[in-house]
Amino acid sequence: MDHHELQQPDYGTGQKKLGIYFIGFVSCTLLTLFSFWVVMAAKLPRLETFALIYSAAIIQFLVQLICFLRLNTQTEQGKNNVLAFVFTGVILVTIIVGSLWIMWNLNYYMMN
Amino acid sequence: MQTEAVMAHHEHHHNTDAIDVFGFWLYIMTDCVLFGCLFATFLVLNTMGMQPSALKSHLNLYDVLIESMFLLASNFTFCLAVLNLYQKKLFKVQLWLALSFVLGASFIFMEVTEFIHLAKEGFRWDVSGAASAFFTLVGTHGLHVTFGLLWILLLIIQMPLLKMNQVARRRMTYLGLFWNFLDIVWIFVFTIVYLMGAI
Repeated sequence: MDHHELQQPDYGTGQKKLGIYFIGFVSCTLLTLFSFWVVMAAKLPRLETFALIYSAAIIQFLVQLICFLRLNTQTEQGKNNVLAFVFTGVILVTIIVGSLWIMWNLNYYMMN
Repeated sequence: MQTEAVMAHHEHHHNTDAIDVFGFWLYIMTDCVLFGCLFATFLVLNTMGMQPSALKSHLNLYDVLIESMFLLASNFTFCLAVLNLYQKKLFKVQLWLALSFVLGASFIFMEVTEFIHLAKEGFRWDVSGAASAFFTLVGTHGLHVTFGLLWILLLIIQMPLLKMNQVARRRMTYLGLFWNFLDIVWIFVFTIVYLMGAI
């Protein structure tokens, strides 16, 4: 990249590099294949399978955030993006964990 | 305000672009909340003392795996298009965008085929709450991808007119965020809906 290219605003999405995209693509492919293999082979007990596919999903989520969305705190805008993202995470956890908690309790008290 | 400090350092249009892209990012975040609600609904209707979902007997995980690969590859080719945009190679940008479109369209084609197959086997959206939640969640994602495909087509047509300028970069950044976001949602769709449904 010449000097002119480096001056382009990146909108908080980081510099564009083929290497990082490639690493992201390969690791996401491997993680996806791993998740499907664990379920399709069906060799492990239920709980272990759950743990493995959820770990793979969370790792793949992080890889996508870093390699494709290029979330970073290098620039002012990058910091704002991360802040909005963290706030969304708080709301999502409230909605999903809250719903499951309430419904689990309702189910428990109705059945017992 | 931080924005005032930024304004002092950059040209005016760069700064308004930055605010626009941040606004689009906020839209993506609200879309996350939409999908979060749909996931919560799906989980409640599929796990909490409900009848085991009938989805398991109709699932074909190989198809889902191929779908996932199509979407992931589409995401990667889109990144290559962005890369070529920054190197000002018009034809390659259009080529990679076209490839992203084809891969995304294959994904949608497989998903629609799957829905038709499920409906024919009796797993329709109106048979149970779990089925409704399934079709709403996966369907909403599919609808987003469909709009993303139309958007890719528009950008392929606009690219020669925009002449690789700042506007082209900004629009590619929007679509890039949208397209990557859909791939991230799909990770959770295949893990929570399909893989958990198949265990």
